[in-house]
Amino acid sequence: MASSDGKPLPTPASAGGAGGAAPPGQPTTVASKVLDMGAAAMQFLRPVKQVKQHVCTFALYAHDPKRQVETHHYVSRLNQDFLQCAVYDSDRADARLIGVEYIVSRKIFESLPAEEQRLWHSHAHEIKSGLWTSPHVPTPLEKAELDHLATTFGKFWCTWQVDRGDRLPLGAPALMVSPQADPAATVRPDLVRKRDDRYGFSTEELRAARFDVEAPAEEHPGKADYWLRHRKGFAVDVVPHEMKRHAPFP
Amino acid sequence: MSREPDMIDKNHHAPGTTQCLVRSEVGLGRSKMSSSDQNPAATPASGPDEPSPPGRPTAVSSQVLDMGAQLVQALKPVRQMKQHACSIALYAHDLHRQMEVHHFVSRLNQDVLQCAVYDSDKPSARLIGVEYIVSDTIFEGLPPDEQRLWHSHAYEVKAGLWTDVAVPEALQSSEMASLAKTYGKFWCTWQVDRGDALPLGVPALMVSPQAAEPGRARAELVRRRDERYGVDSSAGGLKAARVEMDEPEWINPNADYWRLHRKGFAVDVVPAEMKRHAPFP
Repeated sequence: MASSDGKPLPTPASAGGAGGAAPPGQPTTVASKVLDMGAAAMQFLRPVKQVKQHVCTFALYAHDPKRQVETHHYVSRLNQDFLQCAVYDSDRADARLIGVEYIVSRKIFESLPAEEQRLWHSHAHEIKSGLWTSPHVPTPLEKAELDHLATTFGKFWCTWQVDRGDRLPLGAPALMVSPQADPAATVRPDLVRKRDDRYGFSTEELRAARFDVEAPAEEHPGKADYWLRHRKGFAVDVVPHEMKRHAPFP
Repeated sequence: MSREPDMIDKNHHAPGTTQCLVRSEVGLGRSKMSSSDQNPAATPASGPDEPSPPGRPTAVSSQVLDMGAQLVQALKPVRQMKQHACSIALYAHDLHRQMEVHHFVSRLNQDVLQCAVYDSDKPSARLIGVEYIVSDTIFEGLPPDEQRLWHSHAYEVKAGLWTDVAVPEALQSSEMASLAKTYGKFWCTWQVDRGDALPLGVPALMVSPQAAEPGRARAELVRRRDERYGVDSSAGGLKAARVEMDEPEWINPNADYWRLHRKGFAVDVVPAEMKRHAPFP
């Protein structure tokens, strides 16, 4: 069940073509739609309403950076130094929720113990290279944000490996890492082109326009982007564990 | 083998357990980042009085961006989250660690739901994980190894623990009846109940409350939830309303793994040699 398993066992859940197949199941019934509408009218859904930004970028699997996915981050800001993102595989209504990414400022990152830092990745390259984009948001509006994001660090757990054709979320969560300048961490041009064509912009042009985004002096502080230096990725595994014993509850 | 309460073997090779997968080619042994770690190293991230998460108040420029983005971006996937349900979840490796969870549910089709899970329903709520929910038909199609990571929902729904907040029971009852026959897989990415001011370590597998100890939801957690949301999950309230609800005829014994095997699942991160690939053409 390791996140680094090549291919999950063949089942209806794993038989889809790369990236495309919808999950198995019946179409949504009218009754369910009615409930959804009713609930939406009565419930505030406040945490979800905090999501204010859509970001489209790319991520690589920590244990196999040649596996790369276009990701859609739906970002909510808890404070100036902390963002939390529900990550999807597209920007459509039928998008699959494929993971969670947390983004913190450098100051917070540096306060983390070394072992924890190894799970985090830097964002400077991703921002400056034009890979990280906010579709439809005018450039001047996002400038200050990009300057800030270029100094942040992210931790991204992928809970549904759609790129290997999983029609349902299988196995353990996989740690993801960010694109980097290193050739081993370069996003495939065809993936970038497909994204650019869909949105009608050019990553190349964005890169040129972002020349004035400051790259931090030290791009990989502490243990960030651990795999780049050590050429070892992290795979996640699930192991049975003796249950803790507790005194009986009074 | 008996262990002192709350003690974790530093190497996380709990004696007597079988390991699902051996991945030790790197020879570094198990990392200390296991999801079953009692307390991560003391850092500003885990002090009891620290704001969570730490950080400066949101700057005006960020607010302006957020407002501007909302105007031009459709945010379709998040608009699909139309239901807010509240329940109690337990850690798979330690059933006594329990927390109130808030699921924001979106429906992919009649058989598959996906939920962004938060620790409250406030605007300041922390995104603490993801749960996927599938019908029994879909669940039966999963391989047994995969099924062991999932939990059943029948008890949780019939006991009035899982409930849509602020939705009258009459409106939600058919949805709850369907949900009672589903199975869920829930990864918690931020262990807020142990005081983590930031998301630390690896995802933890969660399981559902059950009727039998040690899987019962703690009464005081349930009571607090009930008071806050005006839910009555007592024997006279939701439990009575849902008593007529169909029980699933059969709950797959591979789900709720801990019940038969008295072992929870903990997640660990192990360094892995990077795969080698032929150079790209």
